Amino acid sequence: MNAAFADPAAWPICIVAGLLMLAGLLLAGAKIVPPVLSDILALAATAAAGVLAAVLAIRIGDHPALYWMGGWTPRQGQAIGIAFLADRAGAGAAAFAGLMFTGAIWFARGYFAGARNHFHVLMLLFLASQCGFFFAHDLFDMFVWFEMMSVAGFALTGYALRSSSLDGALNFTIINTIGAYLILMGIALAYAHANALDFSAVRAVAQGRPDDPVLIAAFVLITTGFLTKAAQVPFHFWLPDAHAVAPSPVSAIFSGIMVSIGLFGVARMAWDVFAPCPAVRHLAHVGLISIGCGSAIAGAVMALMQRHVKRLLAFSTISHVGIALIGVGLLGQQGLGGSLLYLAGHGLIKAMLFMIAGIMLSTLGGIDEIGLRGAGRRIWPAGIVMGACALVLAGIPVGPLDAGARMMDAQARSNGLHWLALVIGFAGALTGGAVLRVTGRVFFNLGPMTGEEDAAPTDDEREHANRPFAAQLVPVLTLLGVWVLLASMFARSSERFALAAAHDMALGADFSSRRALPHMTPILPWLPALVAVAIASVDLNRHRIPDVVYDRLMGLTRPGLHMLQVIHDSVIGEYVLWMMAGLLLLAGIAIF
Amino acid sequence: MSDVFSLLPWIGAVWLFGIGLYGIVSSRHFVHLTGCLAAIQSSSYLVLLGIGYRYGAVAPIFYDKRPGTQAVDPVVQALVLTDVVIGATVSALLLALVLQLHKRNGIVDPQAMRPMGKSAVPTAGGGRQPNGHTA
Repeated sequence: MNAAFADPAAWPICIVAGLLMLAGLLLAGAKIVPPVLSDILALAATAAAGVLAAVLAIRIGDHPALYWMGGWTPRQGQAIGIAFLADRAGAGAAAFAGLMFTGAIWFARGYFAGARNHFHVLMLLFLASQCGFFFAHDLFDMFVWFEMMSVAGFALTGYALRSSSLDGALNFTIINTIGAYLILMGIALAYAHANALDFSAVRAVAQGRPDDPVLIAAFVLITTGFLTKAAQVPFHFWLPDAHAVAPSPVSAIFSGIMVSIGLFGVARMAWDVFAPCPAVRHLAHVGLISIGCGSAIAGAVMALMQRHVKRLLAFSTISHVGIALIGVGLLGQQGLGGSLLYLAGHGLIKAMLFMIAGIMLSTLGGIDEIGLRGAGRRIWPAGIVMGACALVLAGIPVGPLDAGARMMDAQARSNGLHWLALVIGFAGALTGGAVLRVTGRVFFNLGPMTGEEDAAPTDDEREHANRPFAAQLVPVLTLLGVWVLLASMFARSSERFALAAAHDMALGADFSSRRALPHMTPILPWLPALVAVAIASVDLNRHRIPDVVYDRLMGLTRPGLHMLQVIHDSVIGEYVLWMMAGLLLLAGIAIF
Repeated sequence: MSDVFSLLPWIGAVWLFGIGLYGIVSSRHFVHLTGCLAAIQSSSYLVLLGIGYRYGAVAPIFYDKRPGTQAVDPVVQALVLTDVVIGATVSALLLALVLQLHKRNGIVDPQAMRPMGKSAVPTAGGGRQPNGHTA
């Protein structure tokens, strides 16, 4: 035990195995362990996992270490064993996952009363497999953790066993399972030519023959699978259905960390494994940036058109993860670091927003923005937090979200892509505006007249009303506290850490020039937030707009918006076809 | 001759993936759809096993073979085994969800499902049925 603690490389396996063991014990004792004890054990375990990963990230520093399970180190250049990699990117992500899960399990206290502790078991499995994914240094190992995490996610989505949640869970399961099989086929192709699964071994082979079409096809298939998990256009159709119907603590996890995992996987593949192939770098640059832009814009427009608050937040997740994907596609360490920091900032904010949606469900008895108009006045503190989160989403120049955006923007401008700030601003303004509109309508009784959101799908869901409002607000405020710390005291160090994590992930390489540009947006930093406020005010004051102007505006936008609504209001078969179209798009970019 | 045979698993894999995909897109029953997903999964088995196959080689069990005998690749077989377990988990979960769905509203037609359990956008295209409602 002492030896294991002396060697930080052995920590990842301790974290993962510990969580798995606790999950097994809780499941075995499901009938005898009292709920309070399950809560305490699960909370302690997730918090300990997060703290251990954070300490590991600091201790491992500039010297990423491999841990070969069972002592199966590579012999004569052949790596048969399976390794865990302890580096700052993986450990940092695992620490963040620990924080998210601690918050979510805390928030869920009492939510699943009477359901034994299966929720805790699933959450622990979820976290363990995420940590395994972050530390994996082997293609197939990564796939197994990925699938384990997915299955835990599928089960958690359908947990409520209502008609709509079963529908969402089925959609989620089918689309993501097809994505997973694409990943597996990509891994098989990579193995066919590399005869190895270890990241470094595959990378060495890619170095030897960078134009190998089989390796490029492998990257296309694996990327498609990971982008499906990351819910990027056109692989995103499962996400609004699943996020909207999952229990709100689970939605907080989905948006906070699970979706980011797809992005983490793409970045690992692009930088760690296939980077020596020029065609892969071309695909990562052109393909990821265009898909990211498409997601950022489509997600933001769709978010503004929703009335089901969780569905609205889900679309905003697609939009913001799209922006982070652009950061990965910039192929520079600064962009990658910005992307990681952006995801962390977004995860914190989105987890808080989903918790507030959960509070609305349990204390106001609904989640429909229009139906709840004015109902939130008695829980106004939640409204204030929600409004603040909306402004952060919109991109006010404070905190990790904005710091990440500025890093990506600096990278983009040194690549000559000066328009990135516009995309970031657009996505921020629309998603922030949408959340502000919800805040105004629900908590401040504004907006008597509805617009295009009236036609959006909604649901008459409720969640357990047995939990006091204050107890639910505490985890939200705790996450807010973490955000404030990251925005003030640890602002510089979190930026430095994100850059260091990107450096580790990129193995020190940098494929795009980086000039030391000041971190500053060319447009006024407050502009997106101001636009968001303007959008929300227009939406909430529709009844004051003269009919002539209003009809002209609606007439201009209606056909496009209606088409978007119809596309997103469809059946699984069509979603699968969209997915295949996306796969062909990526393959086309790789070929030409 | 062996060229044709070495292509065979790939042709089979593409065929299985294609019919699985067609089945999912056109499915009218979730149990049928689960089966189609299994067909897609089988295509990934074929790819894996085809990659590891060696002509004239034995199974990778060296109990009664001399060390150094040419054997097919055991790594891909281990991958297929793991994949079978994952596939079984997903299928079991899907079928459990379908069973619950059938208990809730008696409809197990993927074409009748709409986000949030109901359709709000009036659509011009015919053939879309009224959906299953929450009780």
